[in-house]
Amino acid sequence: MLSPYQYAVWLVCTILEIGVVVCAVKKNAFRRYVFLNIAMIASAAISIARYQILHHYGFTSKEYHYFYYYSDFLLVITLYLALTSLYSHVFAELKAEQYVRLGTVLLLCGTALFSYAVVQQSSSRLLTRFVVELSQNLYFVGLVLTYVLWGAVLKLRETRTRLIQLILSTGVYFSLFAANFALQNLYYGRTFFEYLTPLFGCFLPLSWMYAFWRIPEETRIAPARLAVVPR
Amino acid sequence: MSRRLTVILLVLLVLVGAMSLKTAVAAHDGGSFTMAVGGAPQPPPLPDVGGAPQPPPIMDYSAGASVVNR
Repeated sequence: MLSPYQYAVWLVCTILEIGVVVCAVKKNAFRRYVFLNIAMIASAAISIARYQILHHYGFTSKEYHYFYYYSDFLLVITLYLALTSLYSHVFAELKAEQYVRLGTVLLLCGTALFSYAVVQQSSSRLLTRFVVELSQNLYFVGLVLTYVLWGAVLKLRETRTRLIQLILSTGVYFSLFAANFALQNLYYGRTFFEYLTPLFGCFLPLSWMYAFWRIPEETRIAPARLAVVPR
Repeated sequence: MSRRLTVILLVLLVLVGAMSLKTAVAAHDGGSFTMAVGGAPQPPPLPDVGGAPQPPPIMDYSAGASVVNR
């Protein structure tokens, strides 16, 4: 049985995800950041579908369990594509579109192979274990990719404030989840995390919504404020 | 050609870094926790197929009383 707090956070998160798309459309940024918006639309739609399944079959049902993990796999893929689209924005002037695409496909295939190698000896529910393993591995790949992208932003002296805000908020989101993951494994059984974890899910749509709503596309940040490079 | 090789090298570095990070972070992992997008509550883990009770971990008596993961 879920608490009112869990329902409230879930609802707020879904509203924020819809809010990101609304803000992007209002500020004419939907097409420019189409993969970010697809990720948010998918997340909001799957939230609604999850609620329907939860309401129909119950929290501890197999249906909710399987739908939760399989739909999360889809969401991680959309988030991964959103992240690689940020790479395309940063490297647009270098005409490195095809290399970004090549890297995206190779990294996804590599992660899938690694995940399969981990779960291949499982005797039961191989596909489900593979999907969960791949989702979890993609989170960590996303975390490392975001930091690599931040390094590229500093090196290339990227000045687009909205793009920087989007990249940084994605990095904070992945870092929050990784830290939470580590702490949950260290402090097994603490109910505190049951309340904290869903809140992290709200961070990404909130920060992306802020980026679309408050920061115009034309805004530039002074390179000196990004990094001081010794000459 | 060298650009493609650079991409492959970067991909491998990211993959190794990410998997190392996951291994470090999940050193005490019981397999119960997962990261997920959105605010939906995580369902409780499903029991393994069949009703047989799970056996205790295998003890390696030759090397003291440490638990061996096989």
